[in-house]
Amino acid sequence: MNIALVPKIEALCRGYRRELFEKFLSLGQGHPGSTFSMLEIVVTLYHGGFIRFNRQESRFIDKVIVSKGHATVALYPILANFGVIKQSEWDKWGSGESTLRVFGNTSIPGIDVTSGSLGHGVGVGIGMAIARAERSPSSRVFVIISEGELYEGSTWEALLIATHKKLKNFTIIVDVNSLIILGKTADCVGLEPIEGKISAFGINTHSVDGHNVMELINTFSNLKNDAPQCVIAKTTKGKGFSIMEGRPEWHYWNSLNHEQISLCRKEVS
Amino acid sequence: MLQRDAFIRQISERLGESENVFFLSADFGAAALDALREEHPSRFIHCGISEQAMVDIATGLALEGNVVFAYAMAPFLSLRALEQIKCGPGIMNLPVALISVGVGLGYADSGPTHYATEDFACLRSIVGCSVYTVSDESVAKSVANHILDQPHFSYIRLDRNELPILGIDPNIALGFRLFGNSDPSVRRVALVSHGKMVHSCVNVAKRHPDKFFAVDLIRAKPFPVDLLSVLRRSARAVVTVDEQTPYGSIGSTLLEFMASEDCLMPLERLTLPEEYVFQNGGREFLLSKFGLDEKSIESRALEIYGRLT
Repeated sequence: MNIALVPKIEALCRGYRRELFEKFLSLGQGHPGSTFSMLEIVVTLYHGGFIRFNRQESRFIDKVIVSKGHATVALYPILANFGVIKQSEWDKWGSGESTLRVFGNTSIPGIDVTSGSLGHGVGVGIGMAIARAERSPSSRVFVIISEGELYEGSTWEALLIATHKKLKNFTIIVDVNSLIILGKTADCVGLEPIEGKISAFGINTHSVDGHNVMELINTFSNLKNDAPQCVIAKTTKGKGFSIMEGRPEWHYWNSLNHEQISLCRKEVS
Repeated sequence: MLQRDAFIRQISERLGESENVFFLSADFGAAALDALREEHPSRFIHCGISEQAMVDIATGLALEGNVVFAYAMAPFLSLRALEQIKCGPGIMNLPVALISVGVGLGYADSGPTHYATEDFACLRSIVGCSVYTVSDESVAKSVANHILDQPHFSYIRLDRNELPILGIDPNIALGFRLFGNSDPSVRRVALVSHGKMVHSCVNVAKRHPDKFFAVDLIRAKPFPVDLLSVLRRSARAVVTVDEQTPYGSIGSTLLEFMASEDCLMPLERLTLPEEYVFQNGGREFLLSKFGLDEKSIESRALEIYGRLT
C-alpha cells in the first residue's frame, strides 16, 4: 500500500468537493448528497492508480461504471484533471453551453456508460467484464452502485450471474449512505445485512469506511483476482457539508442563502 | 424447420467469421442452439431466467465492440426487459439484436402471461429499434444474415410454430414482399400483415387474384416507404391483419405513414380484441373466435371489397 498517496488524495478530494459545490451552486440542480458520498471512492480509484491511465492514448485501461448515474458528476473534475474532459468544458459547465450533463452519458469523454435509471450497472459491467476477460484479461471493471439499487431486482439477477461466471476482473462498490429520497433505508424498506446477503451469493465482500482514503487504498490494494469482489463502503450522504450531511432532502440540490453558502465554502476551504 | 432453428443455424454458421459475436439466452432453447453451444461455447452465455440482466449484459458486451444476440420467449423479453432495452441498446444505439419467440397467441393455451400481443407496439416505440417479423424460415435466415452484415439495434419476432415457406425470396433491405397480382391496371384491396397472418392473407389473395394482393410487412420499422408507392399505385383499400391487440398493431403503423405521406384510402384493421385471453381451445380456435382465421379474413376482405365496388 502506498501510504504516501493518502495526503495527496485527501487534498484532491477537498479541491474537487469545492469545485463540485460551486458547480451545483451555479447550476441550481443536481444530486449533491450522492455525489459527495462517493467522492473519496472515485478519487482513490483514479488517483490511487487502481484505474490505470494510458497517457499516450489519453484513455483509461480499466473501466468505471457509475450505475448510480445521478452522481456521475463526481467523475467530471477527475476526468478534467486527467485531461480526458477538456478543462474548458468543465470550466464553462454551469455558466454556458457545455457537453457535460447532470447525468453522465457516453457522449462525454471518459464516461463509458449512459446511466441514470437504477439497477443496470451490475449487468452492464458483467458484459464488459466478460468481453475483457478474453481480450485484455488484466483490465478490471469497477461498478459503483448505490445501496438503493439493491431494491432493483435486476441487480440481484446480475449478481447471480457474476458469481456463476467467476468473473475475476469484476468489482462492485456499494455506496451505503443509508438514505433514499423518502428517508433512511432502514425505515423505508430494510436492506441489512447487506454484506451477508451479497456474500451469500458467493461474492467476496470487503467493508470499508468510504471516506477514509487510507482504508480505501488498503481495500482496493487487497482485492483478490479469483472471483468477483464487492466493496461495501459506509458513507455519509452530502459528506463535507453540515447542511447536507445525513439529510435526505439533499438528494437534490436546494437553494441556499448567503450565510449557508458562506458556511459551505468555509467547511471545504 | 422452426424459424428459431433457421435463424440460429444461420448465426452459428457464420460465428467463425468474427470473434465479436455473442449469443445470450434467458433459458430458452432450440435444437440449433444446442449445436451452437457445443460448437462455440465461448460465444454462448446462459443468463438464467433473467431477461433484464440478459439485456444489461448484452449492453455491456456491445459497449466493448461486440454484436450481441439476446434470445428469449417473446412476452418476457419484450415487456419485462423493456426498460433495459430502452436504456441500453436504445439510448446508446448498440448492435444488440433481440430475438423473440412465440409472438401473438403462439403459446396457446398458456393464457395471457405467455401471449405476446402487445410486443410490436412496445418495441416499435423504442427509439432506433428496427422491428422485423418473420413469416417463414427463408425470412428468418435472411434477417439473420442482414443483421450479421449490418449489425444494428433490432427486435426480431419469430413464430413459435413451423410455418410453410412462402416461396418468394425476401429482400430485407426493401422490407416487404408482395404476393399475388398487384398490377395497377386493376386496383385491388391490399391485405397487409406480418408473421403467421401472412399465410392466410396469401391464400385469400390466391383464391381471389382479381380482388386482392397480399403484403408481407417484414420490416415494420424503419417503415418501408416504398410500400406506399405500391399501395398508391395498385390498391383501392387496405386490410391489415395482425395477431396483436388493436392499439399499436400494424394497422396503426400503416395509418401513420399513409396519413403523413398523402396516401390515405379506406383501411380496415383486423386484430385481436382489447382483452386478455384466458379461454382454452388452441391458437387456431382462438384466431377463429376473434376473426383472424383464414375464413374470417376472407369473408371480411370480400365484404370490404364489395362495399367499395
